[in-house]
Amino acid sequence: MKRFGAMLMCMLMLGGCSRKQSAESVSLRVWVGDNADIPWMEQVIRDFRAAHPERQLDIRIGVQNEGDAAKVVLADVQSAADVFTFADDQINSLLNAGALMPIQEGTEDIRNANTPESVAAATGPDGQLYAYPATADNGYFLFYNSAYITPGDVASLESILNRAAESGKKVAVPLANAWYLYSFFAGAGLDMHLAEDGVTNLCNWNAADTPITGVQVLSALLEIAAHPGFVEADSDAFVAGLKDGSIVAGVSGTWNAVVAAQVWGDHYAADKLPTYRVADQDVQMASFSGFKLVGVNAYSAHAGDAMDLAAFMTGYDAQMDRFAMRRQGPSNVAALASAQVQSEPAIAAIVAQAPYADVQRVGSKYWDAAAALGKIIINGNPEKTPLQTLLDQCVAGVTAPADQ
Amino acid sequence: MRRPCHAKENALTSFMQGDVWVKLSVLIWGAGCFAQGQIGKGLLLCLEEALLLGGVILTWPSVMKLPTLGTVQAERVWDPVSRRNVWNDYDNSFLILLFGVVGVLLTGTFIVQCIRMMKHARHTQRSAAAGIAPAALAEDITRCLNRDFHRTLLTGSIGGALLVLVIPLLVMVLVAFTNYDRNHLVPTNLFTWVGLENFKLLAGLGTSSAFGYAFPRVLGWTLLWAFTATLSCYIGGILLAMLVNSRRTIAKPFWRTCFMVAMAVPQFVSLLLVRNFFADVGIVNTLLKAWGVTDWLYSIGAIPTANVIPFLTHPDWARPMILLINFWVGVPYQMLIATGILLNIPGELSEAARIDGANGLQVFRHITLPYLLHITAPSLVTGMVANINNFNVIWLLTRDVYITTDQTLAAAGTTEVDLLVTWLYRLTQDQSNYKMASVIGILVFAVCSVLTLIAFGRLVGRGREETFQ
Repeated sequence: MKRFGAMLMCMLMLGGCSRKQSAESVSLRVWVGDNADIPWMEQVIRDFRAAHPERQLDIRIGVQNEGDAAKVVLADVQSAADVFTFADDQINSLLNAGALMPIQEGTEDIRNANTPESVAAATGPDGQLYAYPATADNGYFLFYNSAYITPGDVASLESILNRAAESGKKVAVPLANAWYLYSFFAGAGLDMHLAEDGVTNLCNWNAADTPITGVQVLSALLEIAAHPGFVEADSDAFVAGLKDGSIVAGVSGTWNAVVAAQVWGDHYAADKLPTYRVADQDVQMASFSGFKLVGVNAYSAHAGDAMDLAAFMTGYDAQMDRFAMRRQGPSNVAALASAQVQSEPAIAAIVAQAPYADVQRVGSKYWDAAAALGKIIINGNPEKTPLQTLLDQCVAGVTAPADQ
Repeated sequence: MRRPCHAKENALTSFMQGDVWVKLSVLIWGAGCFAQGQIGKGLLLCLEEALLLGGVILTWPSVMKLPTLGTVQAERVWDPVSRRNVWNDYDNSFLILLFGVVGVLLTGTFIVQCIRMMKHARHTQRSAAAGIAPAALAEDITRCLNRDFHRTLLTGSIGGALLVLVIPLLVMVLVAFTNYDRNHLVPTNLFTWVGLENFKLLAGLGTSSAFGYAFPRVLGWTLLWAFTATLSCYIGGILLAMLVNSRRTIAKPFWRTCFMVAMAVPQFVSLLLVRNFFADVGIVNTLLKAWGVTDWLYSIGAIPTANVIPFLTHPDWARPMILLINFWVGVPYQMLIATGILLNIPGELSEAARIDGANGLQVFRHITLPYLLHITAPSLVTGMVANINNFNVIWLLTRDVYITTDQTLAAAGTTEVDLLVTWLYRLTQDQSNYKMASVIGILVFAVCSVLTLIAFGRLVGRGREETFQ
């Protein structure tokens, strides 16, 4: 199809006009992740205008949850926002659809200013930088109530579970959620990641020749799920359990930090994930690290200005404002090192968990298949299916071709 | 106006026997009219031709690309001087499909119109030869507003239906024969025709059997759901209406209003509220746990996990719960309909029956029920079809809550409680799998039409008017 807009642009350029947009009005649309981000974004836009008084900017804010941003962008790339925030796990589907503009200017500065993990998360398979890191707090770690669980107990999941069970309390582990289930398998050295095609998954959870086998992990998980101190809890259930006092520890993320701090008060504490016992060894639970990234739409009519805005949104000042207004952990190294940020237990826990965290590069077939396995574990494998069969079926689902 | 009667001619003989104006009118639609001095009408026909031809010319590039759905991949070059992207003249498979379909329809119309215009010119030529003066433009307009007014009116509505219904539907149906999925998303990527591959996948003939495994199961539950949900609400509504309207019930308007209030609350609000009530950490679970019901159920083995009744999270519990909640949401509406009909049953019928010594059950069995069935049969059929596509109830009650433990269903992106229509939604929204969604959409249509045809044939078929006496 002829793209008249593109042709028009070509003609403009042939006319030899350079830096034309400094005089003309530039309209940009930007998507933030939450209604609560709007005051922050308005502030950023005010500062951005002040930094570029020569430009006529018409910037409109829209709200699009970061977790679903790719879905909406992919539905119609050409009508999506010029600048949008998304969770880093969607970078591959966005790249597949050609929706992300490779960053053209200042890439070295971005690489130097942000943590290496967040830069890795914003980098495509071809090594180019495709987005601006905005936060580095999308992972999970351990929350606990120090009135029940001492810092000496938090090293192992078993001692946390025992301690909770002794006081008739519970530890929340969301096993039926594929995002958290990964923690146990990856911790035991098993592998699940994206193949080179960028859409299908590779997975060895069902292999028999790994040092710790998937069957051993699965039997350990079945034991954990049967422990009197264990409760399966998604985010809502975790908050409910916090408030009614039944949950005294749990695996969750920064989004529940405010609630936990309110309910537990001085006893609020957070740390990296514990170890768990599998095949007579204590292995450190792994995790997915998550980053919020700001991307520029490849089909934006004002890609240059959009990149300027995205860079501004993710700079040191904007990230500090974001932490101050939204308690979101920065990816900017200098911001992360600041005293305010360091004093936040949840951020400290994220940093402590970082060495055991993997960047989330997972094809879409992982989620439903792994969630089904988690659900079977919680139900205690009622049909007594051989564990190897469960893993074989799960791996078949996880590694299925993405187009089916 | 008297219509001249001519011997029948086919298009070819009309063309051969027509004069030069008739031959010319294939190319210039107004030619025949100009020959007879109908200048205004001729100009209008030429205008119509110009518009149609314009449409054909505009869409022609897409029609030419239809066989491949495009071959030029999008490529972007960054221009550091203007700080903008420069795109090549790339193909967008979806637009090619859309404009291609429009183009084919326009071209077909154009060709048919060419022949019709030629025959029309021949007709006027023969009429003129027979000494009948051709109709003036004013006469034609008057005819369109009077004798042929139905045509004038239908033109607009048919045009609208074609534009907003037929063309999008056609495009969506055609997507089922392409590989339009997350690996082939426009505009960056191209998609192309794959024939019946997607249907084979659903029939379980593809490389992965997950879809073949999932489809009969989802279809089975869809039909079971539609049948049970429709019938339970129907019977429940009638019984409730009879109870409220019973002679022994006092304060009838009060009771009726109670149920009306339930209807006044938007359905999605009720559903989301009920979902929270029955959530694993919801109020019902908390209360039952406190009363010891949960522990008792666990001790007799009715629930798989201690402490929680999996109302909406376990297949054996979720399916009956969904039916029950739907019953609760749907009954007031059915009650209202049944009330209206019950009040309309001629009183003398039941009075006569009672005088003949019939008891209440007999009156219901032989008078009320046949009367109700007779009137509501069509709504039962539409209700059934609506329930097959009842997205709200299933989606709002189980979204994010229900996780399947059937690993093969999970691999196909569906669950035990999904209807075909919610599966379709998951495929498009979560996986951008438009091709499979289109295949499922076609099959939903097939199921609905078969059911409707059978049910209407049986329930509302010929001669039904006479059966109720």
